[in-house]
Amino acid sequence: MKLIKDKVTKLSFVALLVTVTAAMFYAPTASAHGEKSQAAFMRMRTIHWFDLNWSKDTVPVNDTMTISGKFHVFAGWPETVDKPEVSFLNIGIPGPVFIRQGSWIGGQLVPRSVTLELGETYEFKVLLKARRPGDWHIHTMMNVQGGGPIIGPGKWVTVTGSMGSFVNPVTTLLGDTIDLETYNLSNTYFWHAFWYALGLAWLGYWARKPIFVPRYLAVDAGKADSLITAGDKKVAMGFAAGTIAIVAFGMSSTNAAYPVTTPLQAGLLRGMKTLEMPARTVNVKVEDATYRVPGRAMQMTLTITNNGDSPVRLGEFNTAGVRFLDPAVHEDETGYPDDLLAEEGLTVSDNSPIAPGTSRTVQVTASDAAWEVYRLADLIYDPDSRFAGLLFFFDEAGNRQMVTVDAPLIPSFI
Amino acid sequence: MSASQSAVRSRAEAVKVSRTFDWLILFTLFFVVLGGYHIHYMLTGGDWDFWTDWKDRRLWVTVAPIVSITFPAAVQAVLWWRYRLPFGAVVCILGLLLGEWVNRYLNFWGWTYFPVNFCFPSNLMPGAIVLDVVLMLSGSMTVTAVLGGMAWGLLFYPGNWPIMAPLHIPVEYNGMMMTLADLQGYHYVRTGTPEYIRMVEKGTLRTFGKDVAPVSAFFSAFVSILIYFLWHFFGKWFGGTSFTQSS
Repeated sequence: MKLIKDKVTKLSFVALLVTVTAAMFYAPTASAHGEKSQAAFMRMRTIHWFDLNWSKDTVPVNDTMTISGKFHVFAGWPETVDKPEVSFLNIGIPGPVFIRQGSWIGGQLVPRSVTLELGETYEFKVLLKARRPGDWHIHTMMNVQGGGPIIGPGKWVTVTGSMGSFVNPVTTLLGDTIDLETYNLSNTYFWHAFWYALGLAWLGYWARKPIFVPRYLAVDAGKADSLITAGDKKVAMGFAAGTIAIVAFGMSSTNAAYPVTTPLQAGLLRGMKTLEMPARTVNVKVEDATYRVPGRAMQMTLTITNNGDSPVRLGEFNTAGVRFLDPAVHEDETGYPDDLLAEEGLTVSDNSPIAPGTSRTVQVTASDAAWEVYRLADLIYDPDSRFAGLLFFFDEAGNRQMVTVDAPLIPSFI
Repeated sequence: MSASQSAVRSRAEAVKVSRTFDWLILFTLFFVVLGGYHIHYMLTGGDWDFWTDWKDRRLWVTVAPIVSITFPAAVQAVLWWRYRLPFGAVVCILGLLLGEWVNRYLNFWGWTYFPVNFCFPSNLMPGAIVLDVVLMLSGSMTVTAVLGGMAWGLLFYPGNWPIMAPLHIPVEYNGMMMTLADLQGYHYVRTGTPEYIRMVEKGTLRTFGKDVAPVSAFFSAFVSILIYFLWHFFGKWFGGTSFTQSS
């Protein structure tokens, strides 16, 4: 019996080792960005991305694509997140699989951080140049100082070709065109190899003689001074003088070779141009809102007042990049990512046109597996249990109007 | 063989064993220092050492020498006071640079494809050689701290300028002026490193016009002196035997 037990123990141990070893050799590519793990309220109550467009699904290396659209900086920004006074329009990709050739907010290039105003809407565009082949999940993203990355919707894009053929030509203000992908590389290798060799030479000088045991014994015996000879001192002085001379020579020759250099550029960009949205003529009051956990559905009671001059219908509810549509009113034709699109996810108790000058109270249900898949249902665990999003109303001519909603959310567990 | 007998039977054999110990200890020292110093420097110098668009004339020049003189000071204390060996700083930098290059080449470039010309490490060797030489010639911790620490801080920027200068050539880009280093930071997307995290060109050192690098270097050198003292004492304590039980 003991023999069997020992064998089982041994085999179990071997199996564990094999498993651990095998796991070490399995390292799949990380293609996405943990976007579903971000706190739901961060995605629902900060930056609302809409009208997004990824210009291509497949891009050859060296070719470009754009991500464009709009984002609304939510007026009901959560207290637990710093305001977007220092923000950076980023892009969520797994490393530099693309290079960012340009990014604009309201038509202005934004290579640096910007100040955004609560309650405003901005137009943006990011120009990307394909660099590394593969299938990549490309997200819009806004980094907010004190708030962290606020990731937007992502879409899979395929890059084809070979990274070896990637080039990144840049023309400097001195008129030279360089390839930023490999520029200054040989110079970097040269200086590092040179100084490393000098360091090795210094170490080698001392390591050519016995190092530790005899020297320790000598120091212990009070003969430490005898261990450094006059020759050693001369060599050391040579090393020090040579080092200083090389540094001085390197500095002066570099200044001669590059007489025009500028410091790194930094600073905050303020006064971003906002997008003029159509005058709002629809008012929405949230009477109550519940999230029904078993049904993966959010239900809102809304009182909608149409102060415009044409009838309107509710066509879309957009929160955290997930779009719930009423297909009778509005269908997506932009190729929006399937996993973020609930094409028939919006139900309105009475979605007949609301005539100008009238009000109506309706039950609105936004239901889809996306609540779970994108972990938006985790909203009920947030410190400030509120939901928020964008409602889009359409008139008969197809004109669209955006209304923000922001209200407490009561979870329902039965 | 009894316990009282020697493990070696001739002087030649003793020399051979001693040399074997030399290489074993040096090899171990090199990699222990590499690991410890590398982690320390990544945690304290971090992004200033990782990216060219962090290597500015103010904060990089100030921070990098201050946080990097630590291990050299400590290892010098052990090797000098115990063995009269003046290569503590150089062996540290050899280890650190090897570790950094392995990291930058295999991780930054090999795994995540950041170009090496964007993420190469800073060069710390000139200061290390001078630090070792000053200790050897003076035999004094105080002199080494003051002169060597000063040299450590002052040699850092000029020792790196031949590598960095080409990346400070200006570019006009969509109506804005940038350096090539700025452009590298903009082009090669770092999802987890937004622009505002970059601590460059900050501070109130504006009365020296464009010549702030020497002032930053002097400040860095001054603090490096203080840090040298501190870490030299750490090394001395660590290299001692007072914490072992006497037989």
